[in-house]
Amino acid sequence: MGSPRLLLIPALLLLLALPYSKGRYNEEFDDGEDLADFDDNDFAEFEDMNDDSAAEAETAPPSRASLASQPEEDEDEDEATVELEDGLDGDGFEDSETQDQDMYSKYDQEEFEGIGDMEKTGHSMKDPLIIHTVPAHLQNSWESYYMEILMVTGLLAYIMNYLIGKNKNSRLAQAWFDSHRELLESNFSLVGDDGTSKEGVSTGKLNQENEHIYNLWCSGRVCCEGMLIQLKFLKRQDLLNVLARMMRPVCDQVQIKVTLNEDDMDTFVFAVGTKKAMAKLQKEMQDMSEFCGDKPKSGAKFGLPDSLSILSEMGEVTDGVMDNKMVHYITNNAEKIESIQFSDQFSGPKVTQEEGQPLKLPETKKTLLFTFNVPGMGNTSPKDMDSLLPLMNMVIYSIDKVKKLRLNREGKMKADRNRARVEENFLKQTHAQRQEAAQTRREDKKRAEKEKIMNEEDPERQRRLEEASQRRDQKKIEKKQMKMKQIKVKAM
Amino acid sequence: MSFNSLSDPRRVNKIIRYKAPSSDSNPTLEDPTPDYMNLLGMVFSMCGLMLKLKWCAWIAVYCSFISFANSRSSEDTKQMMSSFMLSISAVVMSYLQNPQPMSPPW
Repeated sequence: MGSPRLLLIPALLLLLALPYSKGRYNEEFDDGEDLADFDDNDFAEFEDMNDDSAAEAETAPPSRASLASQPEEDEDEDEATVELEDGLDGDGFEDSETQDQDMYSKYDQEEFEGIGDMEKTGHSMKDPLIIHTVPAHLQNSWESYYMEILMVTGLLAYIMNYLIGKNKNSRLAQAWFDSHRELLESNFSLVGDDGTSKEGVSTGKLNQENEHIYNLWCSGRVCCEGMLIQLKFLKRQDLLNVLARMMRPVCDQVQIKVTLNEDDMDTFVFAVGTKKAMAKLQKEMQDMSEFCGDKPKSGAKFGLPDSLSILSEMGEVTDGVMDNKMVHYITNNAEKIESIQFSDQFSGPKVTQEEGQPLKLPETKKTLLFTFNVPGMGNTSPKDMDSLLPLMNMVIYSIDKVKKLRLNREGKMKADRNRARVEENFLKQTHAQRQEAAQTRREDKKRAEKEKIMNEEDPERQRRLEEASQRRDQKKIEKKQMKMKQIKVKAM
Repeated sequence: MSFNSLSDPRRVNKIIRYKAPSSDSNPTLEDPTPDYMNLLGMVFSMCGLMLKLKWCAWIAVYCSFISFANSRSSEDTKQMMSSFMLSISAVVMSYLQNPQPMSPPW
């Protein structure tokens, strides 16, 4: 009854004894050797364990001593079985411990738990101290979080760049507008419109589409419908873009698109610009690829620099456009001109659809399209915007010129023939597709009719509808047969 | 307005209002970067949350910042904010679950 409680006390003692006995020789338990013989008291088990732990503890520290005393072991072995109580307490306790060691090693290894470990730790005491590093998150230092600090620093750098880039783009746009405002306001009655206000009143400022794209719409002038100016700056607000630009320098661009009325321009297609731009236009633009089949020609005949080349529908057009003033403008600003397009069949880049050609010809609009490079190759300052002013003068001059430019009779005939040819080609290419589309439409109609007949509940009406559709089909077949006969007769 | 002197080319009666061209053409044709970055950001933040990868969560934060920087003014701010919040929550959750610092791959 009291045995559980009695067991508790030695258990507590055991727990307490373990840490204490490890470091020093415990004289009390030396006498425990007497009780190595199994006593019939409750404490016997635990006392053995106590002895073991005490003995194990003492083998650990004095293991070095035991090494030294190994030659003595042989002598001691004879006395190993002698009880240690015979006065071996005081002197030569080292011997007793080595005897303990040997004694215990003769016993079953499993009987004494932990003695192997003690031997091992005994060995480890011979090795130098190994200091293990404390896992990083348990340390109380910020240094271990250096990756996180790097990340946050990167984010802060990105935000700083965003603010700086946005600011710079905004200043560049404003500088451009300030330098061009006077010229625009003297030429257009509506300068700046976002399309949302009720009345057509000039807003007098740019529309910001993006952090790097600004729009300006001008309208209200003779010879044109309107002019859309797009300031396409570099993405200075995006750090990735900034880094990419360090590898591959790119320019800011100003794109001006003038849309014309029907009577503002005669029918011709013309382009002048850098060689690379011309090649790209010829490949990608719908009208350029169709009307300007020849390779871009050099403009040296007119005195243009070698970097520029001309794409034209016919020679007469080139001669008409490239008058002295135009050549003068282009030559003086050659490094800023990327491309200039005059086209009455402008419809944008070629549309590539998955099913092949589109079924309808794309909508065309008479357009003048100018693309200018801002000088500075990315490192522009607001002052550079003034250098674009002569280009705007050129644009205005072109608008007036195109209105006055008229092809002579031959040129006009050629142009009309070209356009008819293009349309015919287009119709031929899409002929098969249009046939298919017509066929599917006819089938759909028939199916719808049949469904109507099926759904009709009144049998009488059903029969009548069926007869009607049969008669219609018969008529169609007869018509076709007639046509075939006519063709045969004609062929003969 | 009466016809001015020949040197003044302005004509008030010829004013045509501005019509935003992007309504005709597909806006994503022009620059798909913000949409891609938005999607990438969401994917990375989900990876970071589910797989408890800290670096995924950090990349998601970067993606949402890049998407914001490249976004058009016509774009929904709600979408931007939601992707941003998602990436921040991915980072916070990764650290709450495992406060150990990120180890570099080298």
